[in-house]
Amino acid sequence: MKSVFEIAKAVQSGQLTAREAVLESLQKIKELNPQINAFVEVWPEEALKRAEAIDARRSKGETLGALAGVPVGIKDNILYKGHKVTCCSKMLENYVAPYSATVVEKLLAADAVIVGRTNMDEFAMGSSNQTSAYGPVHNPVDFDRVPGGSSGGSAAAVAAGMVPAALGTDTGGSVRQPASFCGVVGIKPGYGRISRYGVVAFSSSADQVGVLTGDVKSAALMLETLCGYDANDSTSLREEVPAFSRLFTADIKGLKVGLPKGFFHELDEEIKEKIRQSADKLKSLGAQLLEVDTPHAKYSAPCYYIITSAEASSNLARFDGIRYGYEAKNAKDLNEQYELNRAPFGAEVKKRVIIGSTALRSENYEACYLQAVKVRELIRRDFAKAFERVDVILTPTSPTTAFTLGAHKDNPLAVYLADLYTCQGNIGGLAGISVPCGNDKLGLPVGLQFYGPILQEEKILNAAYHFEKAL
Amino acid sequence: MILEKDNAAHCANMTKIYLTPQETAQYEKQMQDLFGWVRQLSEVDTSGVDLAAVGVAYLRPDEPVTDASMAQTLVSAFNEQADHCAKVKKVL
Repeated sequence: MKSVFEIAKAVQSGQLTAREAVLESLQKIKELNPQINAFVEVWPEEALKRAEAIDARRSKGETLGALAGVPVGIKDNILYKGHKVTCCSKMLENYVAPYSATVVEKLLAADAVIVGRTNMDEFAMGSSNQTSAYGPVHNPVDFDRVPGGSSGGSAAAVAAGMVPAALGTDTGGSVRQPASFCGVVGIKPGYGRISRYGVVAFSSSADQVGVLTGDVKSAALMLETLCGYDANDSTSLREEVPAFSRLFTADIKGLKVGLPKGFFHELDEEIKEKIRQSADKLKSLGAQLLEVDTPHAKYSAPCYYIITSAEASSNLARFDGIRYGYEAKNAKDLNEQYELNRAPFGAEVKKRVIIGSTALRSENYEACYLQAVKVRELIRRDFAKAFERVDVILTPTSPTTAFTLGAHKDNPLAVYLADLYTCQGNIGGLAGISVPCGNDKLGLPVGLQFYGPILQEEKILNAAYHFEKAL
Repeated sequence: MILEKDNAAHCANMTKIYLTPQETAQYEKQMQDLFGWVRQLSEVDTSGVDLAAVGVAYLRPDEPVTDASMAQTLVSAFNEQADHCAKVKKVL
């Protein structure tokens, strides 16, 4: 399938119709989705109708938007008015969005065509897409393996060529880690860059909308369309959005790339080698490699699990069948009513709500939650200091390649460690991008990650773009 | 950190989540492992972090609501209204 950039340009110039682009996407979905399970619902008639309307506007001489005719999948926790949004949970089985998320409005305003909603870990809690009420997603590279998560459906849909782009959300690496597992590009901008209005909240201090595409240039185009201030999101930043897709430089000579101490010790040997080769590649392109010290970054994963679980226990309190969600019949009393209403939550969601409540208990609050929040501040300071010396920081995206479905079933800690190198981005509010850097001996994709400071996404896009070109 | 034996059951009850005895036992074990892992945070010296100052630095100034039509939109979202009140469904 053509890239976002190619489709938009071709539709704008009349070389391709939006209908043709959408038909190709729908055909691929029809052909591959039964094995991959990337989409949980597809809206073919509506998508084609919208594509035809775009084509009609073009034939009248109207100028089309930046994403003209581009078929896009949206993660099932993003509201699209009049369409089901379930967070892949039985709790919201029949919930229909009463309004559209700002990111959806922006996609539509740019003449993109939303073709369906993609599979995900239930309420975005997971790193393997195995906690979805709709069943697991299969990695298009190897159907016996996970696609990563929680935006596993979005990553798999792009990797399989069902759509050239999909939206995901990233609370601890949920865009970048599946991008790495599936061999596509995944970017999460800095905190506050993209509005979260209309995105179901998991952890309000860490959630961020991100983009999955087949190439860096397309990711840049998607990002510049989606970023920007939104009065409906109190965390949205009131800052100018650069035209990311037009800011690529001729080369990266002199780019200062930081290699954080201690990030490469516990890595799978093959991944370590790939990262080493990638660093050498950047050096051969003229980049300068510098070691940086982020001494508290090793605490990111436990810090992340405490803070996000605590926030989830609060955010998910609204799914009680009275405000939102499943409502049981014939309860004997109010206590039983609540318990029965909350029964549809899956095991991982229940566990995280309980973990979060435990961390917030008065006996634990100071030693557990408050300590995690303080450590988070130290991690932020470490990265801020590192970015005084370097332009971007290079890390692996994940400590492993895609693991087999069902692996780590009895060892959730092993799954939590899949976020080891990505959760710093959310803890520190940083921008991060994962770009493919080769394959392991089994042919599974390996991802390389660039971190950059908030409001300087162009730096990581530029580094990733030149790396992608040189690979 | 307090992690007494009935922690999972107690917190499940607080959050109105029903657990079977089997789930309780399973979660208990997983939570012990998780909080054991999290305990490493206590080795970090955080004495130099003043959260009150940090919080203020990240706060954005208040933005008063200026869209006068918002109240009307919200009220009209309720299916039923009576005596200038929005009606909500009966719980029990």
